[in-house]
Amino acid sequence: MTTRFNLKNQALLLSLTAFFAVSCGDDQPKDDSTETVEVEEKNANNTQLLELDGKVFSIPSPIQTAYLIKGAGVTYNKDILNVPSKVTGYSTNFKKAVNLGIYGADLGYVTLYDQTQDAISFLTAVKTLGDDLGVSSAFDMELVERFEKNIGNQDSVLSLVSEAYKSSDKYLKNNDQNHIGALVLAGGWVESLYFTTNSAEMTSNKEIINRVGEQKNTVYNLIKLLTPYYDQPEFSTLVDDLMELNDIFEKVEITYTFVEPTVDVAKKTTTINSTTTVNISPEVLKQITEKIGKIRAELIS
Amino acid sequence: MKKAGFKLLVVAITIFSFNSVFAQSPCDTVATLCENNITKQYISDGQNYRALLLDDEIAEFNMVLYGGSTYRFAACSGFSNGNLIFSVYDRERNLIFTNKEHSNAPYWDFKITNTLDCIIEAQLDPNVSASGCAVLLVGFKQ
Repeated sequence: MTTRFNLKNQALLLSLTAFFAVSCGDDQPKDDSTETVEVEEKNANNTQLLELDGKVFSIPSPIQTAYLIKGAGVTYNKDILNVPSKVTGYSTNFKKAVNLGIYGADLGYVTLYDQTQDAISFLTAVKTLGDDLGVSSAFDMELVERFEKNIGNQDSVLSLVSEAYKSSDKYLKNNDQNHIGALVLAGGWVESLYFTTNSAEMTSNKEIINRVGEQKNTVYNLIKLLTPYYDQPEFSTLVDDLMELNDIFEKVEITYTFVEPTVDVAKKTTTINSTTTVNISPEVLKQITEKIGKIRAELIS
Repeated sequence: MKKAGFKLLVVAITIFSFNSVFAQSPCDTVATLCENNITKQYISDGQNYRALLLDDEIAEFNMVLYGGSTYRFAACSGFSNGNLIFSVYDRERNLIFTNKEHSNAPYWDFKITNTLDCIIEAQLDPNVSASGCAVLLVGFKQ
């Protein structure tokens, strides 16, 4: 189903503005007919409105991937993380935003593995980039203090970090910087897929390999999220790379079978019983691993 | 005539600006109230999902829910619960859930056994409001 917007009120107001701007008592009648169109809204009033034909595309949190990897018994590997000290080398908003996402994923990873010292380093990198991008209110000293106070309590720390990113996302959308917000999401996703492919390579764990294959739909969502900004500097390279990655993901077979869900009204819980099977060949896994490695290397350089 | 036209333009721009202010502030307030439905055991997915809806407009959110996780969706509009109808569909457009069958419950949990690619549609309850900000919050726990 496609989302449609009734633009009657806004079209009328826009018409009025144009009318007063250019005319001196023109008697043209107003168009009161309801017009339902599918458009991309881009004005300050609608920074929170849907884009892309009325659809919003979500990107899964990198923290969930970190949970999966740790839960599968994969040992901590600092070498797969971006180096925090590189933060000072990121000079464009593109690089800052995408690495804000990357460092956020790294922060989630080290937190889950109780690597306190590394966590502080990544938090510092996140704060630096947040300040540079104008979202210092989301990554302020209060966050740092609460983070340090709660170190040792994984859930609290992960909650704090996620809330900070949500706050940052809100600020960017409120201030018409959706493209920066999209880059933060992109960076987090690239990094978490990098973790996943790395872990899949090391362990051949079926659940982790399946998680790689399950990114087939998310890479598509990410491309949709970034495509409106294709003409902006550095976006085209990333989008083109993601489209090449998407072409590889097309070789992943996902079979979905709907099964009626189970509802527990008292607990306000619905259990999804539908099944999803992922078929990803070793060759395709290798191709995805190589491609995401290249994309990530470019982003963190 | 030019002066009158210019003055009217200023008025129109002012109206636009007020519209912007009113559009953003209620959304933030709605989101803050909605957060009460995402309790501490759920970790936010780090994103804001909002839409300004008029009449029967439908907001569509596309997301992937991972197997092995439980998600909480909180869906709000206005300053009280029960104003927003949200429905969850799979990619084949099978209806997974709608809060319309549960008195427009402001939140609901989804236990995901196998990864699900889904679509969430949100619309205002016409019996309550003809326009407003729709806010969707997503949290997860393992």
